[in-house]
Amino acid sequence: MLAIVLSAVAGGLAYFMPAAQLALDSTGQVISLPTPSPTALLASPTPSPSPSPVTGAFTVLLLGSDDDSKFSADHVLTQSMILVRVVPATKKVTMLSIPRDLYVHLSPGGYGKIDGAYSYGGAGAAIATVEQDFGVHVDDYIWIGLLGLVKLIDAIGGIDVVTSHPVLDDYYPADIYSRFPYSYQRVAVLGGPQHLDGLHAMQYVRSRHGDLQSDFGRSQRQQEVLTAIRLKAKELSPEDLPSLSGALGGELKTSIGVSRVAQMLPLAASFDNPNQITQLFLLPPYTHGGGPGGSVTADWGAILPLVHQYFP
Amino acid sequence: MISRFALAAVLAAVMVLSGTATFIALGSRTSRVAVPPEKPTSATPRAQALTLPGTLYMSQDGALYSLSVGRFHQLTPEAGWTQPSMTPDGNIVAVKQAPFYSDIYVLNRFGSVVRRVTNNSAPNKNSDPGLNHWAFYPRLSADGKTMWLAYDKPKFQYDVVLSIWAMPATGTIVQGRVWTNAADYTGGDVQPLPVKGGLMYTKYDFASRYAANQPDRLVGMLWLTNRAFSVGRELTSPSEDCRNPAVSPDGTQVAMICTYQKQESYLTIASWNGSTLGPRKTIISNQLVAQPTWAPDGSGIAYLAPGAGAGPFQLWWLPRAAYAPIPSPAPTPTPGGPHNGPVPAPSPATAVVVRPVQVTTNNGFDATSPLAWSG
Repeated sequence: MLAIVLSAVAGGLAYFMPAAQLALDSTGQVISLPTPSPTALLASPTPSPSPSPVTGAFTVLLLGSDDDSKFSADHVLTQSMILVRVVPATKKVTMLSIPRDLYVHLSPGGYGKIDGAYSYGGAGAAIATVEQDFGVHVDDYIWIGLLGLVKLIDAIGGIDVVTSHPVLDDYYPADIYSRFPYSYQRVAVLGGPQHLDGLHAMQYVRSRHGDLQSDFGRSQRQQEVLTAIRLKAKELSPEDLPSLSGALGGELKTSIGVSRVAQMLPLAASFDNPNQITQLFLLPPYTHGGGPGGSVTADWGAILPLVHQYFP
Repeated sequence: MISRFALAAVLAAVMVLSGTATFIALGSRTSRVAVPPEKPTSATPRAQALTLPGTLYMSQDGALYSLSVGRFHQLTPEAGWTQPSMTPDGNIVAVKQAPFYSDIYVLNRFGSVVRRVTNNSAPNKNSDPGLNHWAFYPRLSADGKTMWLAYDKPKFQYDVVLSIWAMPATGTIVQGRVWTNAADYTGGDVQPLPVKGGLMYTKYDFASRYAANQPDRLVGMLWLTNRAFSVGRELTSPSEDCRNPAVSPDGTQVAMICTYQKQESYLTIASWNGSTLGPRKTIISNQLVAQPTWAPDGSGIAYLAPGAGAGPFQLWWLPRAAYAPIPSPAPTPTPGGPHNGPVPAPSPATAVVVRPVQVTTNNGFDATSPLAWSG
């Protein structure tokens, strides 16, 4: 009998092997925070943040990168930076989109657009930069590559989104599934409720040429797609993990450990009220264009009270 | 006595069986969220349980399908065909979308091309993608003489928006002229709908431009205009965030999709007097509704929405009784002569909740493609 039970367990292990492999490879990544330079301490608008005071609440920094063949694998920009605070007790989620062009003091030293922090020092540098400039504590991070988002959405069978407006772009980078990563393609994602596959969802969140709000408009679309992914994820079962992990191989990294992921799955399913999700964007007057090198400058006097209200 | 060898062999076989069975059992418990939709012509169960009036045309995976007498027929190959609408003589106007451009064609009701209306691909060997054009949402006027469409001209360098154009139905786009010039850096003007005395369409623009208390984000609004380059006027407010207008066969009501700037969509109906919309009535609020389309005989509204939870869009049918007002019953006449006392209150009508009917279950219709319906 023991042998039969063991063989059944072996069958189960074999089934979940891809998921386990991904879990070992991608989760529990050690965050190495860079030693702050003296100027970093001077530039910090607030004292060093401490962990969230609300019991069980945690803050995750979501990072999305172009990791196509135009870039070196370890030196990619973060096109998307979204700070997410989850309060399980009240089932409230707050998402703050950080403009990728925001001109800040970077934790590895010097000033530049915040999307460069990851390319200089990986996730640790991106986290440290956000912590020092926004005065928040970041518990964990999740990084996903361009192709990873496409594969993730396809692996969950696509997502249902109300695209807030048509997105047309004559010069959208043709760097996914292309032999010429520096060429362009046209995209047309029409407006309204619809089912999007990974590629079209990526086009919807990535295009910014036709948007007056440029990166801000894109941030709004990114949050719409994130919300749709969360909604679809509620329909997944643990048995879907192997196929998901097979699709994501190498395109996802996170500091969240396996055991924590298991704890968070049922938690994600319990968040079913869209009105409990607060979406924040740092539009003017919080930020202004015209910074160095096409960057966006911050009005920290306005930003920090807002951030500390939602990320205490 | 069974030998040890035989016992070991049996045990090994049972172990292999047990391990394999566990593997297969776990595999069978997946959520099936990623199962691809079936073609309407092969999906089971077929849409035969409910027979809708006339013929309904819709798009899935770049192919046009008709639904008639409870059966689907594939009209075109899967080659980018979408957004069908009817011509007065029973043909179909549709869009064929390629990766870099889209064109409008006239098809007969069996799906054969009768005429290519636009030619929007860039000149050969030109590598600038911006020289291509998009044409979407073709609609013919009631007299069949004018074709309305959303066309991406003029362009504003990097910014590409759709404007409403009008052109002779038997002519070319060169003979056409821009009707609503969508401003630079808006969401564009789409979904033209010729109505008596004008043109209804969906305008995507920043809400903050129309109301002081509105956010700085792009929303959909229904607009009405009656001449080229006229500003026209709003029929719905920015806060309602509406699109997909459809006028009822008798011309007295408009069905539309309103999202109230959220990731939700509501099937909303309003009365229509030819110039303004009346009070809104939300008919469906618990589905991600798209493309409401009135049956030509007024018997109900077809629309697209996911089957259960989040997933590909299916065809749904909402019978008229679900949204039409229930007539008040007349007081029962008093037997034996005129009634002198107080008029008895009529007994309340029995509240019958009419729910939408899911027509298909395993398909994945294009929710950005309007449905076309011939009577």
